[in-house]
Amino acid sequence: MHKVLSETVKSRGTQRRNEPKTRRIHTPHETSHEHLRSMLGRGVKRKWSCLEELEAESLPAAAEKEKNGEEGGGDEDGFLVGPSKSDMSHLQQRQLVLGLCMEKLQGYQAGMELSLRRSVLLINTLRQIQEDMQSDGVGTCTSQVLLNGVHPDSMPVTCPGCAESDDGDLSLSPPLSPEFPSQEANSTTDQQKSLPAAAIHTFSDAVNAMGYLSDLALDDIFEDIDTSMYETSELPSAWVTGSLWPISVSLWTDEDVKMRSPSHASAGSLQSCLMDLNELDHIMEILVKS
Amino acid sequence: MAGPGGDMQWCFSQVKGAIDDDVAEADIISTVEFNHTGELLATGDKGGRVVIFQQEIENKNLPQFRSEYNVYSTFQSHEPEFDYLKSLEIEEKINKIRWLPQKNAAQFLLSTNDKTIKLWKISERDKRPEGYNLKEEDGRYKDPNTITSLRVPVLIPMDLMVEASPRRVFANAHTYHINSISVNSDDETYLSADDLRINLWHLEITDRSFNIVDIKPANMEELTEVITAAEFHPHQCNTFVYSSSKGTLRLCDMRASALCDKHSKLFEEPEDPSNRSFFSEIISSISDVKFSHNGRYMMTRDYLSVKIWDLNMENRPVETYQVHEYLRSKLCSLYENDCIFDKFECCWNGNDSVVMTGSYNNFFRMFDRGQRRDVTLEASRENSKPMQVLKPRKVCAGGKRKKDEISVDSLDFNKKILHTAWHPQDNIIAVATTNNLYIFQDKVN
Repeated sequence: MHKVLSETVKSRGTQRRNEPKTRRIHTPHETSHEHLRSMLGRGVKRKWSCLEELEAESLPAAAEKEKNGEEGGGDEDGFLVGPSKSDMSHLQQRQLVLGLCMEKLQGYQAGMELSLRRSVLLINTLRQIQEDMQSDGVGTCTSQVLLNGVHPDSMPVTCPGCAESDDGDLSLSPPLSPEFPSQEANSTTDQQKSLPAAAIHTFSDAVNAMGYLSDLALDDIFEDIDTSMYETSELPSAWVTGSLWPISVSLWTDEDVKMRSPSHASAGSLQSCLMDLNELDHIMEILVKS
Repeated sequence: MAGPGGDMQWCFSQVKGAIDDDVAEADIISTVEFNHTGELLATGDKGGRVVIFQQEIENKNLPQFRSEYNVYSTFQSHEPEFDYLKSLEIEEKINKIRWLPQKNAAQFLLSTNDKTIKLWKISERDKRPEGYNLKEEDGRYKDPNTITSLRVPVLIPMDLMVEASPRRVFANAHTYHINSISVNSDDETYLSADDLRINLWHLEITDRSFNIVDIKPANMEELTEVITAAEFHPHQCNTFVYSSSKGTLRLCDMRASALCDKHSKLFEEPEDPSNRSFFSEIISSISDVKFSHNGRYMMTRDYLSVKIWDLNMENRPVETYQVHEYLRSKLCSLYENDCIFDKFECCWNGNDSVVMTGSYNNFFRMFDRGQRRDVTLEASRENSKPMQVLKPRKVCAGGKRKKDEISVDSLDFNKKILHTAWHPQDNIIAVATTNNLYIFQDKVN
């Protein structure tokens, strides 16, 4: 089940990124919002994504409820069903939403027009997930670890959420062993300390990307400068300045081998994004020279 | 109002736009607005163009009259621009059009893209002067000394020509993307709102605007809420409302202070804890707010519902209508494909008895407030025979799908109706699909 989840998410992520890149270049003002949608096929009756199949798989009870004609009352807000089933599915959903959130936030950094509303909503969702994880970590960490067969005393650090509380700037800790007990529980302690750093960077980068907007009250001063010649060359620099890919990706890839499952989706798609960016830079170079 | 409120039978009247399924990006309709008499219907598109339709008012007194809207004027309102500082293109897409009340023979409207608002004058010319004796046949001016008689030119009829000319350009006042404009009832001022600020303009003055709301935090990293829509009260020129991405409404009084950061009233419904999920905030984000014509109510549209608020009651809406509750269990998928961020608009009918909003699969919904009835209709080419009555549609959320019902899984999420408009007096509605404009009217019996 768990394997299916990561593979599905990864392949979907890769597929999305490998859409014709020329589309991005020809319509630079297309919002990421519309861009993603257009990638999913215009005018084609859109079937539910494999996410939906996943939902159905992981929640046979919920599917059955729907079949019995319960209109949304039983199965509200995605995966959340009854409290007994919700722990596993709640965590799965949280992980999924977290992955999607990161994907979307990083997607917008790649030089495309960003919608402030969308970014704020995404970051708020991220914050909510973090709070959820922290409260979960405090409450259910020990029980999850026990499921693993690992005695809580053998782990010096209780859980990522509680561990890093001294770092005032920490805004996000990624899910680790509490959610995926099948992972190598022994090495998780090391990961727990180094991973949050990676996650912090990615998160604060996302916030910083929004932050640069605050400096721009002076754009009218430069209105009369004709930089039409430089238009095409501006785009790659925007990607470079706006994009903090090299920092985020390198941090993730170091941990990639160890923390396969939780960030598999993000790391995989991040790597493919980096490759795409290089290709894009290459294409831009050719365009500028011609 | 033509026809009773509850027993409306909607018929197809017209459809405007290209027939083929391959939608040109520039043709995507981004706003629809009737003028104050309903005689003119304006649409804006992603390509920065404005198309105005005019109603043929002949035969209006006949019982079976079919109002026909024909193209009156087309013009390019906004062009794409480039922001050098941010290295980003400024889209020419028209976000909103608002008509000014008519004061003379010409019509005026405000159209805006993300950054710049323009005031357009649309005027008719159906006469031209003829009979000057000042020029030679080839067009050169005659030597004044050779002209010995005074000839007054006469105006002769000519083919109607509709001219659109930009009269004012209101630029450089918004750092963020403009989402709303609203003309004040004083006929002199209007407001423009972006994600973090609202500015007040005078229609005659383009080099100055007053900032009346600013929710930008000192540290952008603390930003958690943005402005999503704003509107002036229809009668009280000192009152306006703005909505936020967190589902709150703030009513502000400009007499209280110059900067209306402190609201006079805050409208917010407490969250239902049983409905809480990771998507709660996103779906509570208000995408549109509209005052009722009588000024006593406000309507808000969030992702799944339409809420009616009484201006005198802040703690909860007086009415809530579910637009497509069957989507609540699909929020994760809708989040994945970004549909959860779609911004639907809503509108009132002329006497505030019915409200309308769009949905997916080219469905749109109407809620009759008095009769407590609602209906789902579809805008499609299949139902496009002249005066064909629209059949109500039903979505099957689960269980056995009845005949004529459509299951949630078969809905097309690329076909969304975001923009709708209702004629200010009659039962005529304009519904925009991706690139087509449908006009429906109530069958007058």
